[in-house]
Formats: sequence, structure tokens, C-alpha cells
Amino acid sequence: MTTAVEFSSVSRHFGAPDRLVKAVDQVDLVIEEGSFFAMLGPSGSGKTTCLRLISGFELPSAGEIRIFGENCSDVPPNRRNVNTVFQDYALFPHMTVRDNVAYGLMVKGIDRRTRRSRADDMLALVKLEGFGDRKPAQLSGGQRQRVALARALVNEPRVLLLDEPLGALDLKLREAMQDELKSLQKRLGITFVFVTHDQGEALSMADRVAVFNQGKVAQVGSPSDIYERPATRFVADFVGSSNVLPPDLTRAFGGPAEWASLRPEALRLVASAGARVTGRVTALRYLGAGTRVALESYGQELAVLAPAGSALPETGAEVGLDWDAKSLHMMAGA
Amino acid sequence: MRSDRPPLLLTFGAIGGLLFLHLPILLIFLYAFTTEEKSFAFPPPGLTTEWFGVAWNRADIWPPLWLSLKVAAISSGLAIILGTLCAAAMSRARFFGRDTISLLVILPIALPGIITGMSLRSAFAMADIPFSTLTIVLGHATFCIVIVYNNAVARFRRLGTSLSEASADLGATTFQTFRHVILPNLGTALLAGAMLAFALSFDEVIVTTFTAGQQKTMPIWMLDELVRPRQRPVTNVVAIVVFAATFLPILAAYYLTGGGEETAGGGK
Repeated sequence: MTTAVEFSSVSRHFGAPDRLVKAVDQVDLVIEEGSFFAMLGPSGSGKTTCLRLISGFELPSAGEIRIFGENCSDVPPNRRNVNTVFQDYALFPHMTVRDNVAYGLMVKGIDRRTRRSRADDMLALVKLEGFGDRKPAQLSGGQRQRVALARALVNEPRVLLLDEPLGALDLKLREAMQDELKSLQKRLGITFVFVTHDQGEALSMADRVAVFNQGKVAQVGSPSDIYERPATRFVADFVGSSNVLPPDLTRAFGGPAEWASLRPEALRLVASAGARVTGRVTALRYLGAGTRVALESYGQELAVLAPAGSALPETGAEVGLDWDAKSLHMMAGA
Repeated sequence: MRSDRPPLLLTFGAIGGLLFLHLPILLIFLYAFTTEEKSFAFPPPGLTTEWFGVAWNRADIWPPLWLSLKVAAISSGLAIILGTLCAAAMSRARFFGRDTISLLVILPIALPGIITGMSLRSAFAMADIPFSTLTIVLGHATFCIVIVYNNAVARFRRLGTSLSEASADLGATTFQTFRHVILPNLGTALLAGAMLAFALSFDEVIVTTFTAGQQKTMPIWMLDELVRPRQRPVTNVVAIVVFAATFLPILAAYYLTGGGEETAGGGK
């Protein structure tokens, strides 16, 4: 498999030397061609800066970025075979939808008829046939998003960057667009790199996920790696709000004296008598598909996801916990 | 709801204030039609349109009118180029002393015209530059640039950087971005700025008196005429022309920028 994008100890620092902000700090990343790659992290974790380093709007303070093997640290954005779907879409308000989509072809000097027909093809691809003559202001948020997508894809980029592409859409539309983006990526075979702070979005759409924390990559792996085998306490907590067990509690749960993670849905509520671990219920939170039971055990806050329909304890009740030994995951990089 | 309606006194006060501001302008129009030529008596003894013909045939009106038009056109043209470039630099680059320079750019409009005039006059004298159309243009350009700058800076700020980035991302060079994305979005703000600048230059008196020497622009000609009681209504006819030449561009600028939220600096 070819490597589409490669970061070799890339850093991007801002500000004066005495008050240095390390937005991106010594990041190594490999993004394979044709993959759907998610950069996941809280705001300020460096994921967007990494995206802008690929598009060329930021230049690395140190290290090297290669796109398809070519070192592009000095290549300006307009000469990179990479296109971006911006978070606010950044559609040109004074142009029609068709002219927006054809913009990349226009600046390359492609003749009017060709670019018109290719723009219309792209609009059909994103299911916006017949919208070519409208202005962006006349479209809904979801439609603008599709125009932004068509405008980037018409240039046939080898890598498509998406900056929080679904952030401005409502829930229903967001779910529909997730499926659509995924199938579009499969069909076109283009490398998609997208930035998100929504772990559900990252896990459901991406082939591989990089979790960012404080300018560094905390873990890279498949969605199931990230979810089931978090490398650090941060990843365990950020992705799916896992129970993070300190070494002594891990011992109580039958493991070695190391940091471990235990998913709320891996814990089962049982009768306290004869249970391996017991705890006192502090709060219940109804989630629809289940109920999140918060309890205190060994002075530590733990969460249990009780499936819908199961018997729920009262707040303040003493309950027992049961789990499969294999769901207790040790975190080496804690 | 009672509280929605302003008290009667406030309503009358507001109407009275507006009348006080604008009735004198109507008087200027009225006196252009009076039959009394030596003094302005109210009510006018009779009405006539003969002064328009007289004004048309007065040879001394045309040179000041052309000079004013020429000066206003050149200074607003200069202002468009320099003001836009300056606004682009200020809104996009971050550099040491940026705030200070921004203040220095705006200063000429805050400075009393008489100070600007005096300083320019002494500078011209020191550099041995004889008074000419150019010296008037330079004087006017000091405040015309500010008008265009203020309009352009506001628009640049509203545009943000994301459109330029999108353009570059799609493969456009800096020039292509300017031509296809920046300029179309900047156009109305620049036009509005230029029109305001034109209007301000056209009726400017104070700076002009210091930088014109023996030349007469339209407003200076009017000032001279008011002292001499000869065919007085002709001055009022010219006043109507000046009013049209300055008011119409300002009105157009107001509509071009969507209700005048951005037409900054119309107050000089």
C-alpha cells in the first residue's frame, strides 16, 4: 500500500520563544492511500493544525511532511494536490453554485464548456442536480456542505481534507451525511482525512483513528483498537468515557498493579452478596437505549451501562459487579 | 401597549430638531429662484428661473467647477488605490507597530483641517513646490485615503480569511484570488468609499485655502461671491449644483453598503 501522507517528527509552534505554544509537538503519522483517516481530539489538541499542515496553510516549525513521497514543506497550498472541505464551507457568496464548484477548474484555465459539464457532474454526484444556478445563500446548511464537497472533489485531489465537516448540521442530517461520506469515499477511492471532536463520528466512519491530546498523538489505530484497547488514560476517558482504574483498583478487579480501563457496558450489576467487587449507587442517568449507573467503589467513581429492560438499583443501594476477565484492559502507556 | 409610543413632547422635539437642521437648506434652494438680487429677503418678492440661465452664461463659474471636479476625481482615484492597499496590509498582516500605523493613517481625518492645511502649506514652501492642481490634490488625498481605508478595512474584516484560503486551496494564485474572490466582494465598499471621498473633496474649503494659492475651487469661488452682493441668487444656483454633486454620491454610497453600516468617516 502506498503512503498518502507522512509526518516525520513534525512540530508547529506559535508565539515568542519565552511563551511558546506547542500546537503540534513531535508528531509522527502515516496515512495510507485510500483510507478514511480520522483525527480525533478535544479542541486545542492540535488536530486542526495538523490538517492545515497537510493543506499548506501552516508550515512546520520542525520536521518533514511528505505527500505521496514528496517533501512538501515549502509547497504553497495552491500547488498541492490536496483539497479541503472547510468547517464553515467558505463558499464564494457572489458566485452561483455551479461557478463555486467550477472554481478550481477555472483558475487552472480549463475552458468554460468542459468545466460547466464537470461541475454539473459533480453536483449530480452529491445529489444537487438543478441547483447550479442558485447562490449559496439560497441553500440549506446540508446543501452548502454538499457544494463544498463537490467543489473540492471536482479537482480530483489525491487527498481530501475535511475540517469538522458535519459540525454545523443537525443530528438527523449528520447521520445521513456520515453514511453518504463513507460510501462516497469507498466509491472514489480517494484518501479522506477528517478532523472531528466527536468520538462517535470518528469510530463509525474512519478506518483508522489518531487520537490527539495536547499537540501529541496519544494513539493511532483502528476504531476497535482505540475503543477496546486504549493506550493511555486520556484515550480511555476521551473515547467512550471508559472507567479508568488506578493500579490498586485494578488489583481489586483481579488484574496486575497497573493502570487499566474497563468499559461501562462490560460491567454487569449483580447481587452484592458474594460479588467480587461491590459499590454504592450514587446516581442514575437514563439514556434511552440503557441507563448509566454511577457508583462508588474503593473511593473511586465507576460507571456501569445497564441495558434497557434490566432491573435498576435505587440510589444509595449496595450492588455487586461482575465482568469478563478479558474486558479488563491494561494500559501500557498510561 | 402605551409604553411603545413616545411622549408627545419628545415627538415634537425630534421634529423640531430635524426642521432646524434642514430648513436652512431649503432656504438656499428657495433663494435660487428669488427676483431680489442684492439681499436675501424672506419671503422672496417674486420667483424666477432666470438665474439658472445667468449662471450658465457666467464665464467665471466654469473654471472653478472643472478644477473641483478634476481635484475630486484625482484624489478619490488616488485614495482608492492607496487606501485599499493600506487596508489590505492592515487587515491581513500582523507586524510590529501595526496599531501605531493604523492610528497614523486615520489621523488626518481626526486632525482639524486648518492644521492639515497649515502643515501642508509650510511643507510645500519648504520643498519649494509651487501651488498647482497637484498641491490641492495632495491636500485632499490626506483625508480621502482615510475614507476609502475605513470602508475597505471594515469589508476586509467581514470577509475574513476563509474565502481566500478556500481559493488558494482550490489552486488559485494570489492574483487570481484577488481578482475573482476579493475584488468582487470588496467592490461595493471601494465604490462607496470613493464616492464619499469625491463628495468630501468637492466641497472642501479649509485645506484647499492653504494649498490652492491663487486657484479657485468651486466652494472657494462661492465663498468669494457671498462677500460681493452682485447677482447673489447665482451663488445659490451653484449651491444647488454642489449639493447635487456631493449629496448624490453619499446617498449612493449609503445604499451600496447596505444601509450605511460600513460607510465610515462621512463626518469630515
